[in-house]
Amino acid sequence: MNHYVELSNVSFSYPRSKRIIKNITLKLNRSQFTALVGPNGSGKTTLGKLAMGILKPSSGKVFICGKNSTEMTLGEIGKKIGYLFQNPQRQLFALTVAEDIAFSLEWNEHDKAETRRKVTNMLELFQLEHLRNSSPFNLSHGEKERLALAGIFVNHLDYFILDEPTMALDMERKQILSDILEKISSYGIGMLIISHDQDFVNQHADRIIKMSEGEIVYDSTNNLRP
Amino acid sequence: MTAPTTLDPRTKLVMVLCLSSLAVFIRDIYVLVGVLLLSFLISVILKGNLFPAFKQMKRLLLLIVVVAVAQSLFAPAGRTIVALGTVPILTTGGLIQGAEFILRMAVIVVSATIVATSSYREIVQGLVQWKIPYEIAFMVSVAIRFLPMLIEEIKDVMLAIQLRGVELQKIPLRKRLRIYSYILTPIVIGTVIKAEKLAAAMETRAFRAYPQRTSYMILKMASIDYMLISFSMLAFISVVIVYYMWGI
Repeated sequence: MNHYVELSNVSFSYPRSKRIIKNITLKLNRSQFTALVGPNGSGKTTLGKLAMGILKPSSGKVFICGKNSTEMTLGEIGKKIGYLFQNPQRQLFALTVAEDIAFSLEWNEHDKAETRRKVTNMLELFQLEHLRNSSPFNLSHGEKERLALAGIFVNHLDYFILDEPTMALDMERKQILSDILEKISSYGIGMLIISHDQDFVNQHADRIIKMSEGEIVYDSTNNLRP
Repeated sequence: MTAPTTLDPRTKLVMVLCLSSLAVFIRDIYVLVGVLLLSFLISVILKGNLFPAFKQMKRLLLLIVVVAVAQSLFAPAGRTIVALGTVPILTTGGLIQGAEFILRMAVIVVSATIVATSSYREIVQGLVQWKIPYEIAFMVSVAIRFLPMLIEEIKDVMLAIQLRGVELQKIPLRKRLRIYSYILTPIVIGTVIKAEKLAAAMETRAFRAYPQRTSYMILKMASIDYMLISFSMLAFISVVIVYYMWGI
């Protein structure tokens, strides 16, 4: 199987604190929908950030597409993996909703007409057309979350790490997100979803990893999706 | 005797005020080194957290070259070390002024670690007991409390921009400046939103509902505080008088 992200004997601790991640070895595969579950404070978000290269391990190595993450710039990693923060407010920075979605396409010199088409698609997909010219900072939490998702899905990447993507969504929007993720998944795109939403996890995940106190206590690839 | 770490925050504020004022007034590199060493000593005695200060100073060291070249170019003094034709690029005077600038900044950074050995609540209480209006003291406390959050937010936006696949290192400087303007938007808007929320929270907790405020925390100065305040002020005045009388 094609390993997109590989963690090898990774441990991590924040300055002046105890170890949050304890010697974890893990392979995340492309074309697999992986769910990372566990109680609060078990190290899920930290593991997600380590896999994304946002945090550098205290010991051990993280490989992204076979390359050591410490040798990669964040921009380089951003071209390979899309990341959704737990708090979407942290990843919105443009003046309008449309501009925010177009940001990465514009800076990576995509064709203007193509950029416009992709932005319109994302606005429709995430039901944000009516907010096209609104400021991202005046949106509700759910709308911000959808916008942050649109901003990362507009890049056609091979892997996504989403930290609590359903947290602020109502049932209807959750179903829409479910449909989008199913569709993306069917294209062979891999995902690591950090979630507390058991129904959502059971509905989508091919593989469930459970963490407790910085360790993986359960890893099953035999999840039977309905 | 009161333990040094339990010094009244007002004593620390006076000491820091004297040290940073000296750093601004003095133009002699040797005296500045002395002021910096004294700041270090006080911070170490008060168990200040010097590690982040060292990190900040490491970054400041890079500035020494910029300041030295700027000084050499616009106010050349001393012997020329590097020149481009007849234009001096680096002079001994420029180097000394660059070093003085860094020393001044270092004194201010270390002074901050001295004040930080008191909690921001204690500092506010100190200001209030100095008869500074509570509204102003509260604003100071808010500024102290929100500054690290602001720095954190700037880092977050930089991170988010790069995670969208923008390789900052590969973007030409002129275009990179446009990217930096994206940092300003969320920071300014975020600060205004936070201020609105804070104001609402303060209103709901009856801020300024009564003209008189009582306080759970009352600071009391010990004899060591009076001694240190007197000594700091005396030392400050003496140094300034001697420095200006000698005309160094």
